[in-house]
Amino acid sequence: MLGKVFVLFKRDLKVGLRDFISLYIIVFPVLFALVINIFIPGINETTVNLALLEGENLEQAAYLDNFADVELFDSEEAMEERLRKRDNIIGILPGESGYVLATQGNEPESVVEYAKALVTYHAFGVTVQDTRGEIVDFGRTMPPLKRMLVAWAVLFASVLGGMLIAISIVEEKVDNTISAVNVTPLSRGGFILGKSLIGILVPVAGTVLLLGATGFAGVNLGQVILLLLTLSLISVLIGFIQGINNDDIMNAAASIKILFLPLFASVAAVEVMGERWQFLFYWIPFYWVYKGIREVLADSASWGDVLLYAGIVAVIGGVVYAVLAPRIRKGLE
Amino acid sequence: MISVRNLYHSYSNDDKYAVKDVSFEVKEGEVFGFLGPSGAGKSTTQNILTGLLQLQKGEVAVAGYNIKKIDNRMFNEIGMSFEESNLYGKMTAKENLDFYRKLFDVETRDSMDLIRIVGLQGKENIRTKEFSKGMKHRLTFARSMINNPRIWFLDEPTTGLDPAIASEIKDIIREENKKGVTVFLTTHNMYIADELCDRVAFIVDGEIRLIDSPKSLKLAYGDKLVDVEYIKDGKVLKETFSTVMEEDKQRLIRVIGSHDIQTMHTKEATLEEIFIKVTGRGLV
Repeated sequence: MLGKVFVLFKRDLKVGLRDFISLYIIVFPVLFALVINIFIPGINETTVNLALLEGENLEQAAYLDNFADVELFDSEEAMEERLRKRDNIIGILPGESGYVLATQGNEPESVVEYAKALVTYHAFGVTVQDTRGEIVDFGRTMPPLKRMLVAWAVLFASVLGGMLIAISIVEEKVDNTISAVNVTPLSRGGFILGKSLIGILVPVAGTVLLLGATGFAGVNLGQVILLLLTLSLISVLIGFIQGINNDDIMNAAASIKILFLPLFASVAAVEVMGERWQFLFYWIPFYWVYKGIREVLADSASWGDVLLYAGIVAVIGGVVYAVLAPRIRKGLE
Repeated sequence: MISVRNLYHSYSNDDKYAVKDVSFEVKEGEVFGFLGPSGAGKSTTQNILTGLLQLQKGEVAVAGYNIKKIDNRMFNEIGMSFEESNLYGKMTAKENLDFYRKLFDVETRDSMDLIRIVGLQGKENIRTKEFSKGMKHRLTFARSMINNPRIWFLDEPTTGLDPAIASEIKDIIREENKKGVTVFLTTHNMYIADELCDRVAFIVDGEIRLIDSPKSLKLAYGDKLVDVEYIKDGKVLKETFSTVMEEDKQRLIRVIGSHDIQTMHTKEATLEEIFIKVTGRGLV
């Protein structure tokens, strides 16, 4: 039976590559990896921006340029205009008793403090050579934003896998081909498994490529795939039910978007919400998978944690299966 | 090859039966026609026989397999040509057939051979969404032969085809039947049933009203008369002769011997006329 299941998968993949929407979904992880690499700066590219008046103190400008991105302006008005822009930039102006730091008001405290320290060090003539400290790091060179986006993209890839299934089922319905497959020795279970494969293997392949392309090739791939596979169970079920309930590819794809809400909510919960509100998101499988993948990408996940998260997602998936399976079986008759 | 005993089926799971107490047997190598108007229960019966519908009540065996609990191996023995074409539009004709070939456990026919048989050579690399309705129908028909079925279910195999193609399809059915393939033909087209079937069943309102060979039915229900048009003294004359009365038979022999015959027709009933007589209903 497995041979026939793969025949079905190969057919779906071949047809998927001929359809613009499916093709886009298949290559999405790779495209997203490129976007991450282009737009997310590396850890060494992260810096503080300072604004100075041109010609006011050349020596100071040269000193600060060693520690921050220095932009020079020919007037205070020009500097003020620059400071009002959205990004974080600190203006340094000569005052009556030293220097004045000008800010827009919404800069992170750490950035302001950093600028303050630089001005102080310059005033006291401190140089890098004067430091007695020694830097020891743990080799983590991945910016947190990049880690967050990659973890999010893994979840997104799984949802898109469900979308691929929905599109494929709609196509079978439109072409009325399910009845033709039902009079072959391929069992109903084999058909469902074969149709599921595109929604599982494509996200797995996409995730492996995504991790490799974004510099996470060294993470524990087994842990990522385990979390992804458990989440796939839910994406696959939703893909089937939306495929059965819709007669149009665009409608089916749009219906899958319902999963984006809990997905974004889970990411937001893990990233910005306080510990005491986390329980509100325990019922969402994306929450556990995002938490797990985030830890795996940070090299801080243990197998115990990953198995716990995967187990919770599997239990939620089991409940979803119990609810949707009869409708799916009936819909494929 | 097919045995159906007291088959009932209700779509609403109550006593509103779409098929009611249907029983019949189809012998090996036979072409069995299932005739009835739309909604008579033809497709329901066929869908139960092919496993597309769950058997609710009754006993059904196809190719030795009990339909109550379907064994997937049964599908290696049967072929099904659907009334509505059902092909993957984004795949070419050859890709469609190649895909189905791989789903069977038995030796299958070459896709290109089948494409040639139904006259689609040269179109094998065209995606089927570009095909006309007739071309799609031919490919669906070809696909049903892919596993060399012992029992071949044909649902309106010539519907929507032009007469030349329909004639080719009928030739293919005859040829396969000569090789020993049992054919279960579902149709409301009495002509194809008359031409191909060894026996026909008339089904109306979910019930079988009659099963017999077309020939026997014509003998039983037709008039035993011959209409003859012949030329006498430069004029065309028309006469009807009884094929039973001795006097008429002798007169017919004399007319044939001494005049030019223009037309001569027996007055046997068509299947459609017999259907209407038996069921009181038309076939449409």
